[in-house]
Amino acid sequence: MDVLHNLALGFQVALTWQNLLFCAIGCTVGTLVGLLPGLGPLATISILLPLTYSIPTGGALIMLAGIYYGAQYGDSVSAITMRIPHASSIVACIDGYQMTLKGKTGVALFTAGLSSFIGGTVAIVVLSLLAPSLGEVALLFGPADYCALLLVGFVCVSFVTTGSLLNGMAMCLIGVALGQIGTDVNSGVQRFTMDLPFLADGVGLVSVALGCFGIAEITKNLDSRDERTPFNGSIKLIPTWSEFKRIIPSALRGSVIGSFLGILPGGGPVIAQFAAYAVDKKVSKYRNEIGSGAIEGVAGQAAADEAAARTSFIPLMSIGIPENAVMALMMAAFIIKGIQPGPNMIAGHPDLFWGLVASMWVGNCFLLVLNVPLVRYWLSVFKIPYSVLFPSILFFCCIGTYSVNNSLEDIYTTAAFGCIGYVFLRLGLDAAPLMLGFILGPMLEENFRRALLLSRGDFGVFFTHPISGTLLGLIGIFIVWQVVAFFLLNRKANEQHQQPA
Amino acid sequence: MNDQNLVRGLFLVAIALIFGLASLRYPVGQFSRAGPGLFPLLVSSLLFLIGLASIVRSRFVERVPLSFNPRNIALILASLSGFAVVSDKLGMMAGIPFMVFCASFAGTSPYSVMRNLKISAGLVAVAFAFEKLLGFNLPLY
Repeated sequence: MDVLHNLALGFQVALTWQNLLFCAIGCTVGTLVGLLPGLGPLATISILLPLTYSIPTGGALIMLAGIYYGAQYGDSVSAITMRIPHASSIVACIDGYQMTLKGKTGVALFTAGLSSFIGGTVAIVVLSLLAPSLGEVALLFGPADYCALLLVGFVCVSFVTTGSLLNGMAMCLIGVALGQIGTDVNSGVQRFTMDLPFLADGVGLVSVALGCFGIAEITKNLDSRDERTPFNGSIKLIPTWSEFKRIIPSALRGSVIGSFLGILPGGGPVIAQFAAYAVDKKVSKYRNEIGSGAIEGVAGQAAADEAAARTSFIPLMSIGIPENAVMALMMAAFIIKGIQPGPNMIAGHPDLFWGLVASMWVGNCFLLVLNVPLVRYWLSVFKIPYSVLFPSILFFCCIGTYSVNNSLEDIYTTAAFGCIGYVFLRLGLDAAPLMLGFILGPMLEENFRRALLLSRGDFGVFFTHPISGTLLGLIGIFIVWQVVAFFLLNRKANEQHQQPA
Repeated sequence: MNDQNLVRGLFLVAIALIFGLASLRYPVGQFSRAGPGLFPLLVSSLLFLIGLASIVRSRFVERVPLSFNPRNIALILASLSGFAVVSDKLGMMAGIPFMVFCASFAGTSPYSVMRNLKISAGLVAVAFAFEKLLGFNLPLY
């Protein structure tokens, strides 16, 4: 009953005309940017974060959340119609694009829209029930446990986003190192500032995010010199009754899988999509058709995608630890607004928490309206040539950077990080773990130093505490598994290489 | 040397050394009372080890050629820096066209002065809207 009472409070907050407007703007902008080639949720939130400074806290967070899940859906539209995925919609390309080739674009888009709605709704129920109880568990965590949990997050995100633990961990550590630039909060010593006054407060989050994601991504797209052909096919949206009946079970399966995988550290929409697709391929009645344009191939993954995008808020809001780079940026947005996500957030700011949860369902309805009947208008975005688009994105990057401190000097910092981000890209290093390390680095250092202070310098504290000991044990097993797998693969490759000789 | 894996390892080692050597300038303290240099030293040591592991790994895996196109990134950086300089001296109304005209040299379509003028006009209008409607403090002129 408590949940219903709290949800009622949430809807009171979310249904004010002001918050409805912010939610609608967030969903619209998110969908629009999700459609654009080369800009994912991370870059979008980075660019638009400074624009929310002048908006009230609740509205700003509702808008940023809307941008996030709007971008997730917009991404799937470009994947289905033109086979242009960002990282978050790779699976939608498989059956979605096959359906487009068969002339069923409208049905595929309807399926994705409806399934996203179902996935989002199931995830909101999970979020409402689970987040408060997980918040109580978080109170059991000490500094050593937080350290171990952060390390688990680093390892999971490193492996999931880059596919290589070594590269991902390197980027996390670079992020942690960058996060130490500025004044040390314990001693007041300025570290790595090179006596430059503007570095005393550290490197700006927006500069790092815009440089590594916005500028670097634009340059990568320009390097590839791809000119994209706009989608010109016909769209018939409404499916037949038999097609409709095939959507529901698959969407429900995807919702459950997505809701679960969204909560795990390092989890999120990408893994959830692949898992839902794999499960559909195993258990669906039409499993033989999956891969060649089956409705289940679109429904399951779309539901899992949206469900995971929403439940990934659970660890952030209940424990205070973001589980992926997008959530790390959301955490930064919370902190900028003076809210510390964590176990005390739900009790301290119930209107904010439940308002955000309720707004997700309102956003779900907006997305359904925006994306199902209006999808043919969205597709006209693809008619904008990239030569027009990229100077505009650069302009928004400049305005975004400038507006943080009203300082043109910050644009130089963004340009420098753009250059560094481009070097990372060319060296095959993904910047997402860097962002996580950069935002969580100060938290890791604080908890690390606190744990050692309490244990009087004894490192055993990390292994004797049950929670941290278990988590560090899991990390150890994972690293050993990775090393063994590398040598086994290498030996196998050598044997295959020698066989023909 | 034209091997992405090897260059990546060397790059990581270089970053680790920059941070590691700089952290030695700050008091390290003891584990029970850590100084400001301890944590950065630990982080850069770990990064150094990962860099070394990447170099060793590059000996065992297939070579990946390094592709680097300095022209586009140089143009983008020049347009951003130019935007900041011109906006500082003359205002954003001049900075925006400079950025658009400079960045468009990196574009995929043939260079068009007319198109750049239209984009600049559109972006100047957006900047005005930001200032007048959203209350941004932009140095427009």
